[in-house]
Amino acid sequence: MKYILMMSGTKAGVSGYQAWPQRDRDTHMQTLRDLVKDLTETGEFVATQSLADSKEAKVVRGEKNGLPVTDGIFPESKEFLLGYWIVDVATPERAYVIAGRISAAPGPGGIPTNMPIEVRQFAAG
Amino acid sequence: MKYILMMNAKKSDFEAYARWSKQDLQANVAFMRSFTKELKDSGVFVASEGLSWPHEAKLVRAGSKGEPITDGVFPESKEFLAGYWIIDVEGPEQAYGIAARLSQGRGTEGRTGSMSVEVRQVLSGHSDLGL
Repeated sequence: MKYILMMSGTKAGVSGYQAWPQRDRDTHMQTLRDLVKDLTETGEFVATQSLADSKEAKVVRGEKNGLPVTDGIFPESKEFLLGYWIVDVATPERAYVIAGRISAAPGPGGIPTNMPIEVRQFAAG
Repeated sequence: MKYILMMNAKKSDFEAYARWSKQDLQANVAFMRSFTKELKDSGVFVASEGLSWPHEAKLVRAGSKGEPITDGVFPESKEFLAGYWIIDVEGPEQAYGIAARLSQGRGTEGRTGSMSVEVRQVLSGHSDLGL
């Protein structure tokens, strides 16, 4: 069963992260890299990606003539996808455990970020 | 440059989609398939996935011992990811053009929709964030 684990945050949250001491950010990223290594070893890892800063995000609609209409203005409360992990696991519970590990990754001062991670199964077929 | 095109929708939109006529659903799926095929044929396709229904979505946080605490209650206004396409293109304008085509995908009764598509650059590494 394939699941996507999504980490999202608001612009304010991203600004907060950017203000962390470099050492705390390094520890955080190392924990996430270790997780990917563990998942690779258990054969559950499929893919992971980080997304670029939300200030470059655009919403696009197609006009009748097919031309793209872009808009970069979002409500302050909007949650942007920051990154995701795709895992291939035996049960949903296993996906929740992995999401828990991401949520427990250390933040400033080594205290877990406790960020909520959205867990979704891929549609079959 | 890699971009992700994300289709987001509220629970009510998913419920409305589930009520489309079989013919409309088939036309919509046929559009999505031919759209993906064109991306593959033009060499920009990287990956695509559709996601399961939002009522199966869970929000997970770590408890004090690192154990997962799951919650399936979301605000009604929340937009859920319905599916995505990752493409490798020359620049943002090409990504916007492709997103516009996706936005026009067939809706009910063959009408072209005007669903909004979120376009974000995918990083080749965390260092791209410039931190």
